[in-house]
Amino acid sequence: MSLIDDFLARWREYRAPGYYEEFDYHWTMTVDLDRCTGCEACVTACQAENNTPIVGEEAIARGRHMQWMRIERYWEGEYPDVKLRAIPMFCQHCDAAPCETVCPVSATYHNQDGLNAQIYNRCIGTRSCAVYCPYEVRYFNYNNHHWDAPLEQQLNPDVSVREKGVMEKCTFCIQRIRQAKDAAKDDGRRRVQDGEVQPACVQTCPTEALVFGDRKDPESGVSQMLGNERAYTVLEELNTDPSVVYLKKVEADA
Amino acid sequence: MPNVDRRHFLKLVGAGGVGAGAGFMLSESRKHPVEHLVPYPVPPEEFSPGIATWYNSVCSMCSAGCGISVRTREGRAKKIEGNPAHPVSQGRLCALGQSGLQALYNPDRIAGPLVRAGRRGELEFDPTTWEESLAELANQLELMRTAGRGGGVALLSGGVRGHLASLLELFMGWLGSDRLLHYDFNHPATLYAANERFFGESELPYYDIENSRYVLSFGADFIGHWLSPVHHGLGFGRSRQARDGIRGRFVQIEPRMSLTGAAADEWIAASPGTEGILALGIARRIVDQGGYQGEDLDAWQAALDAYAPESVAEQTGVAADTVARLADSFAETQPGLAIGGGATGNHSNGVDALVAVNALNHLVGNIGVEGGVIFNPPPAFGPTASRQASLARMLELAEDARAGRIELLIVSNANPVFNLPEAAGFAEALAEIPQIVSLSSFLDETTAQADLILPSNTYLESWGDDTPAPGVGFRVGAVSQPVVEPLYDTRATGDIVLELAHRMGLDLAFPWPNMEEYLKYSWREVWSSGTPDPAIPDFDTFWTSVVRAGVWGDDTRAPSGEFAPGANVVEGIGVAAPEFAGAEGEYPFALHPYLSNALHDGRGANLPWMQELPDALTGVVYGTWVEVNPVTAEQLGVQEGDVVAIESPAGSIEAPVLVYPAIMPGVVAMPIGQGHEQYGRYAHEHGVNPINVLAAQTEPDTGALAWAATRVRLVPTGGREDLVKVSGEARELGREIVQIAAVGAGAGAGGAANARLNSIPITVVNT
Ligand code: SF4
Ligand code: SF4
Ligand code: SF4
Repeated sequence: MSLIDDFLARWREYRAPGYYEEFDYHWTMTVDLDRCTGCEACVTACQAENNTPIVGEEAIARGRHMQWMRIERYWEGEYPDVKLRAIPMFCQHCDAAPCETVCPVSATYHNQDGLNAQIYNRCIGTRSCAVYCPYEVRYFNYNNHHWDAPLEQQLNPDVSVREKGVMEKCTFCIQRIRQAKDAAKDDGRRRVQDGEVQPACVQTCPTEALVFGDRKDPESGVSQMLGNERAYTVLEELNTDPSVVYLKKVEADA
Repeated sequence: MPNVDRRHFLKLVGAGGVGAGAGFMLSESRKHPVEHLVPYPVPPEEFSPGIATWYNSVCSMCSAGCGISVRTREGRAKKIEGNPAHPVSQGRLCALGQSGLQALYNPDRIAGPLVRAGRRGELEFDPTTWEESLAELANQLELMRTAGRGGGVALLSGGVRGHLASLLELFMGWLGSDRLLHYDFNHPATLYAANERFFGESELPYYDIENSRYVLSFGADFIGHWLSPVHHGLGFGRSRQARDGIRGRFVQIEPRMSLTGAAADEWIAASPGTEGILALGIARRIVDQGGYQGEDLDAWQAALDAYAPESVAEQTGVAADTVARLADSFAETQPGLAIGGGATGNHSNGVDALVAVNALNHLVGNIGVEGGVIFNPPPAFGPTASRQASLARMLELAEDARAGRIELLIVSNANPVFNLPEAAGFAEALAEIPQIVSLSSFLDETTAQADLILPSNTYLESWGDDTPAPGVGFRVGAVSQPVVEPLYDTRATGDIVLELAHRMGLDLAFPWPNMEEYLKYSWREVWSSGTPDPAIPDFDTFWTSVVRAGVWGDDTRAPSGEFAPGANVVEGIGVAAPEFAGAEGEYPFALHPYLSNALHDGRGANLPWMQELPDALTGVVYGTWVEVNPVTAEQLGVQEGDVVAIESPAGSIEAPVLVYPAIMPGVVAMPIGQGHEQYGRYAHEHGVNPINVLAAQTEPDTGALAWAATRVRLVPTGGREDLVKVSGEARELGREIVQIAAVGAGAGAGGAANARLNSIPITVVNT
């Protein structure tokens, strides 16, 4: 078999439907845009949980902010018939993730739970993944970051602090998932039950717009949401097959 | 005692009254495994390294009083979540509440008592000891008290409730001073006054957004900083998508689209200050259409006579058919809820306008019903008389200072130098006060003028309690406890007051060694007020349970259903045209200041997370800007980033222009929060403070600052200042990122309509 044929064979296998079926969980988040107000509580909750740095005004001016969760805002129409539509945007944990295939050192990969994971100490900082990610949710550490003492006392000990030259992004709060799994194991259970794990953004969202859970469990809250006829994925035409599913915003005059 | 890890915590999340409408109660808290929440203080050997310990407490970042659960590891606070058992926050929190950790671990905290060394305001301080400074201060206070000059002491605090408020009350009472003032820029004084007038209620009612089918909001940014944003967020989300087949509709009326306006189904801009007139136009239409059949119909018809559609349309700029449409749909859709606040309430006609909004609720029968306005019981504890100071009261204090009637001012957790208009002359008045003592943890603008700084603990290091206002329709009391040891040589405000009292020899009146003991003593009364429960045999069991749960109270709302306005209330209804400082010819724009989503009234400016939180509507960080309508920008010949002078009759500031698509042409808007001269490295030297150009206009009934009643002109300076933003393209450009469904969609399961999830057959083209 030629190299190309070999590659294509593997590729087809990799992208085939059901590729993830053998795995334990398929973590999924739904975002109900009819509830979300764009209040950004989730943004700060994520920053607090995941040790994302304070970068300073200058870095932000250069487009180097690091918050994994951001609220995109789109204006529609002109005054006075004008609308502002907000949408939380963060790593979509694509099942067919363009960012994964381009990493020369496989620092970003799909884990056994359907998460798009980032191995910080393998990352060599080519930034290819950020270029390939159509959702622009990967953030690169252009610098080492600094917390003015004693702000560093707040840092979450369950999450590593990333160094200069490393790419990072939303992990679905993988540290919380790990803890929930460990706890389930300690209890002699094989599976984490619905509701036992919530990422930081989900936990704080005042409007209960975010729901997180295992899509493999048909009874889970998130599975229920997926059945909603408003469900869609962003940039669906790219076939990235995201694990983040949005529920359409309802507009009275739509 | 076992610790709480996430697993147990999540059990609690599932258990603690998260369900719709369910509050929390003590019996609930005992049923569920809250014993895992270890009350502070725990001896260090009782927490296991590597395992988180959670403490329940109360958020103090704004006045809503959300219950919090703080995750600590090895004695350090790591994360704040909402307390799922607390009926206000129900496990949720806002961005400002999340960043309370950065108040605790702020690098610019004052680490111990300081005494002024240089001249006032020169920021030269020498360290001193608590022993020395308290002894001296107590001595001075005692001399004043015994000489009958206690009235010369003024105590100015931020919004404070519960037993700390009672303690301050008691302390000032013993001194013989009635100059005990609370000052909070965002205090809804006009709303209290309007409710008192129309409902005869001195407490804020519960606005039942969750169960409402139609919310008509006049300027109330209830998802931003109006009253209780987290609770309103919960109500909003549930009103939208938690009821089968029912989606609450909501209309927002305001001259500049707020975060709340952006979430509305319909956003309507009425001329600034005319929202109350619009409300009466709607009221008249409801009455004209026969929507109101009360016995006092004649009185209503007479009162609303002046609000015919055409005249309302002319004054408000809202078309007559829109007024009619709003009225008809509001009357038809039951239960509905009309609320008012923000700029509507802080205008020259603020109280009248909010009374008009209340009247709407009455006309369609939404008072005392689920999904409408539900009255709250009196707070479970704490003083009932409000000490909230209006602008007029603050001006009086300033006048007293200038006249030499104030010998000593104690400031606690308030920053009037920043939060009052320069025109009020407060900073100058401070200079006339012989001694100023600040109990602040931060060197803010007011503390910079202090002679003695006795730094208090942050809320995460203090004992306290709270009765949320507005309440949730039933009694709630919450206890806040220290979640970490104090980081520095600071003391809790309550402990400082008690210590002063003891040193003044007032032990008999203040028999409690510290705040914790004072709380315990006071909560005995709370305990005996409840229904006896065999599972709680003694006070100690009760107290431990309450501290663990973080909250105590009832759990059912009992809407009364019956309401009639008092005598002469209907006759008095009417809203005058708004009055502005500054003539329209000279100052063509109404200035619409608003509380920044992240920085609140400026208190959040020293928190780097809040400085870097992109503004919810514009994406700007670290700055102040002035929002103008695109047409206005064109007329002025300015673009985003062009610096203009914003000139009012009271002063002038400069800020870059931001062209904002959702603001009326005759209005310019500015966020409050930046422009700190002091307040630490993160707050310092970012943007400007629009409060400084506000005229000292008051609402006549309450004397409250009419902060929406100043006119300005914009003068391009020729300068440029690029706004730093976290945002991309402002329009979707056909990418269909935010997709839209029609009303009725998504009620129930749509099945596999969207089942492209994880099952995409991908064709790879062979090359
Ligand atoms: S916290 Fe919830 S409502 Fe607020 S922006 Fe995030 S997802 Fe939207
Ligand atoms: S959203 Fe971007 S970073 Fe996340 S998995 Fe998809 S391609 Fe990768
Ligand atoms: S609304 Fe106020 S009390 Fe509640 S979390 Fe936010 S800042 Fe704290």
